[in-house]
Amino acid sequence: MKRIQVCVDGVTKVFGEVTAVNDLMLNVEQGQFLTLLGPSGCGKTTLLRMIAGFEEPTKGSIFINGQDVTYVPPNKRPSNMVFQRYALFPHLSVFDNVAFGLRIKKVNENEIGKRVERILDLVQLQNFGKRQIHQISGGQAQRVALARALVNEPQVLLLDEPLGALDLKIRQQMEVELKLLHAKLGLTFIYVTHDQEEAMTVSDRIVIMRNGSIVQDGAPEQIYSSPANSFVANFIGHSNLISAHVSSLEPVILDFLGGSFYCHEIPGLYLNQEVKVLLRPDVIAIQHDSSKNEQNLLAGQVIDATFKGSYMDYLMEVAEAHLNVHYPIRNDTRSFSIGDRIFLSWLPENALILSS
Amino acid sequence: MSAQTLPTSIDHRRPICIPWLMIYSGCVIIFLIFPIVIILLFSFNSSPSVSFPIRGLSLHWYSEIIKSQVFLQALKNTMLVASIVTLLCIMFGTLAALVLTRFRFRFHNAIQTLFFLPLSLPGLFIGISLLSFFVSINFKLSLGTVIIAHLIYTLPYFVLVASARLEHFDHLIEEAAQDLGCTSWQTFWKVTFPIIAPSIIGAALVVFALSFDEFLITFFVIGSESTLPMLIWSMMRRSIDPRVNAISVLLMLSSTVLIFVVSKFVDISEIKL
Repeated sequence: MKRIQVCVDGVTKVFGEVTAVNDLMLNVEQGQFLTLLGPSGCGKTTLLRMIAGFEEPTKGSIFINGQDVTYVPPNKRPSNMVFQRYALFPHLSVFDNVAFGLRIKKVNENEIGKRVERILDLVQLQNFGKRQIHQISGGQAQRVALARALVNEPQVLLLDEPLGALDLKIRQQMEVELKLLHAKLGLTFIYVTHDQEEAMTVSDRIVIMRNGSIVQDGAPEQIYSSPANSFVANFIGHSNLISAHVSSLEPVILDFLGGSFYCHEIPGLYLNQEVKVLLRPDVIAIQHDSSKNEQNLLAGQVIDATFKGSYMDYLMEVAEAHLNVHYPIRNDTRSFSIGDRIFLSWLPENALILSS
Repeated sequence: MSAQTLPTSIDHRRPICIPWLMIYSGCVIIFLIFPIVIILLFSFNSSPSVSFPIRGLSLHWYSEIIKSQVFLQALKNTMLVASIVTLLCIMFGTLAALVLTRFRFRFHNAIQTLFFLPLSLPGLFIGISLLSFFVSINFKLSLGTVIIAHLIYTLPYFVLVASARLEHFDHLIEEAAQDLGCTSWQTFWKVTFPIIAPSIIGAALVVFALSFDEFLITFFVIGSESTLPMLIWSMMRRSIDPRVNAISVLLMLSSTVLIFVVSKFVDISEIKL
C-alpha cells in the first residue's frame, strides 16, 4: 500500500445555511491522479479549496504528508493550484508569471532561469518566455498556468476545472497531455471537474460527489461498469434507467417495460422491491426478428437514428418508454431505418440493478 | 426605377439623424471652440482692448503674468492644494474603492450612498455649510481648510473612476499569488497594486484637474489666501483684464496635456455612475 499524502478527516464546511461539504473522509495516495466529479454545487470545489487553504473547514481536519494543515494559510502549504480561467498575472510576461513563486521564495535568479526554462520545455512553450499574457491563446495560457504551479515542485497539484474554458479539440489534447505529464512527474494530482468524459480520460481514481458527500469512489472502469446507484449511473455515460419491480428471487426476475426478464442477483434484493435497471446503450443488441429465441427479448420500433461516426445512435420506443441504443457500424452490419419494427436483447449480466 | 430599390435596412434613419447631428456639431463649434479661439487670439493682442480688429501680436501679457508675484503665489498655492488633495485621495480613495468593490458587508449600500453624496450636492451648498462649520468650531480659514473642502468634493470622483477597473478585477489572481507563496502584504504590492495602478493614476489626474480649477467651494473656505481661480475672478471683477486671457490659455494648455495623459491610462467608457 502506498503512502497516504492527503488525508481529509471528517471535514464539514458550512456557508451560512448551506452545508457545502458534509463530514467527508478521503485519503489520497502519493502519485494518484484523483478526480472529484459531480454536478455544480456538490461541494467538490469547496473541498479542493480547503485542501489548498483558501477555505477553513467548519469541522474536521486536513493532513498533507501527515502534518495537520487545517489552519495553515495557502502560502505555507506544499501544494500548488491551477485555477479556473488560469488566473495568470496580466502585468507580467510568461517567464515572470512562471518565475513568480520562485522569486517569492528568494531562489537566486540563475537557478530561476534554469528551472523556468526547463518547465516551459516540459509544457512545450519553449521561446514563449518573453510573450505578454494577452498575446497567447487559451491553450497556451493553460500551459503557463500549469508551468507556474509545477515549477515550485509541489507535492500535491490541485486543478480546479482547468480545461473548462477551452474548445473541445484543445481540451481533448490537453487531457492527454495532463495524463502524460502526471505519468512523467509521478506527482499527486487532485482534479476537479463536472465533465464525466474528462474525468474518465484523465484520472486513475474518481470520487463522485453529491450534496457534499461522496457517492462512489473507485477506478473509472469500476464506476462505469458498476455504478453504486442511479445518480452515478445517470451521471456517468449515456444510460437507460428503467423502473422495475422484483417479481421473483430464485431465479431473479424483474418486471419492466411490459415484460419479465432474468437478471443477475445482487445482495439485499427482496421480493416486490421497486428498483432501477441500468441498460447501457452499448450492451443492447438489435435484430429484425425474434427467431433467435433469446431469453431477454423486447419488441420495439426505431423512432430516430443519428450517425455518430463509429456507431449509430438509435432511439427506440419500447412500451411507451424510450431507449438509447448504440449500434457499431461495420461493413457487414445491417442498418435500421426509422419506423422499422425491431427486437432488442441483452445478456442478463448487463442489466444492472440499482437501488432507487 | 432601379434607383429606388436601395437597401433600406442600413440607412433608413439617416434623413432624420444627420440634420440634428449637424446642428449639434454647429452648436459645439459656436459655443465651445469659438470662444477658445477668441481667447487665444486676444492673449497675443498687443493692445489691452478686447475688441476687433487686432492691431498687432505680442507676448506682452504672458511676460507680465510670469513676472507677477501675485500670479506666482496663486499658482504655487493651487499646485500645493491640488497635490496634497491628490495624494490624500490616492490613500483614502484607493482603500475605499477596494472595500466598496470587493466586499459585501452590513450597511454597504448606505456607506456607498453616503460616499457619493457630495456628487449630487451643489458646490454652493458645500461651500456655505463648510464655512459655517469651520467658523462655528473656530477653525482658522486657510489653505488647510481648502484642502479639506477639496478632499470632500473630489473623493467621490476618485472612487468612481478607480472603481471602474476594480469592478472587473479577478479575485482568483490574488489567490494565485497567495498559492505561490505570497503573504497578503506581498500579494497587494506585487499583484493587486501593479494591476490597478493605471486606474489609480487616471483617477488621481482627474482629481488633480478638479482641484486645480475649483472656484465655488474654495471661495467660501479660503480666507485671505489665493489660488489661481480666485486670482482670475478678482482680476475680472471690474473689467476684462487682458492678462486673464494669457492665464486662461496657459491653463487650457496644461489641462489639455493632462486629459491626454489621463486617456492613456483610463478607458473613459469604463466609468459609470
